[in-house]
Amino acid sequence: MTDQLAELIELQDIDVLLREVRDPEMSLHEERLGFAVDNVETLERARKRLAARIDERLLQTYERMSRRHVRVVVPVERSICSGCRMSLPTSAGRSATTASGTLENCENCGRILYRR
Amino acid sequence: MTSASIAAPSTGTAVVAHLRDTLFISELRSRKKVSVLEELVAALATAGITRHPEAVVDALRRREGLGSTGIGKGIAVPHGRSTLVTERAVLVARSRKGIDFESSDGLPVHLCFLIVAPPLERDPIYLKLVSEIVRGVRLAKTRQRLLEAPDFGAVRDLLVEAIQV
Repeated sequence: MTDQLAELIELQDIDVLLREVRDPEMSLHEERLGFAVDNVETLERARKRLAARIDERLLQTYERMSRRHVRVVVPVERSICSGCRMSLPTSAGRSATTASGTLENCENCGRILYRR
Repeated sequence: MTSASIAAPSTGTAVVAHLRDTLFISELRSRKKVSVLEELVAALATAGITRHPEAVVDALRRREGLGSTGIGKGIAVPHGRSTLVTERAVLVARSRKGIDFESSDGLPVHLCFLIVAPPLERDPIYLKLVSEIVRGVRLAKTRQRLLEAPDFGAVRDLLVEAIQV
């Protein structure tokens, strides 16, 4: 796994958590069960620091796609994109070229792929 | 996630369906929160739930950064979603000595239930798992019996009974 891919995955995990804590129903659900949900600003700062390290074009692609999908970065499972469930051709698209390499995209939904 | 899925009544089957003997630690070695999280995730990795334990620990630490998941009465339910877990999992771990988990009541944690899941678009089961665990261990008698249970099978039976009540 490249550094860029690892950073994108970390960004996605932070975004998933941020989405949950910003959702009033979800955070009320957590609080009712006894879990504290504070310090959201710290998490937002961590996201900002991480985003600043990611290739600008790649980040723009990620941000654009994350408005449509909860998961922008998804695993390939048995040659299937686990985001849209479409079978991937032997050579999936390789459109996201960054300063540190090329990332693989699903030709159908455009999600960024990683292989386990 | 809809409000209906959050408020949906639990039938008590979600946790039971996720319990596995490979996801049970009878006695944790670690005594501090971060090292406990590392020990729990190492067990997930051994069970094939993740190939990237460091990233999963990071995700759990970020959740802990929002507030401890040590909810008092000796219980901790660390939980989080990570892109790098292959499936939903529940790991049960015990510590008779007790863990400093920065719990809300300041007491050491003796029962730890780790819940992880990939960030799926729709996944009401994940929240259901958390709710069922919290509800299942609300009685002191249940917590004591879980600590005294001789093996995974006994722990599983106790959880089935406690959650389905």
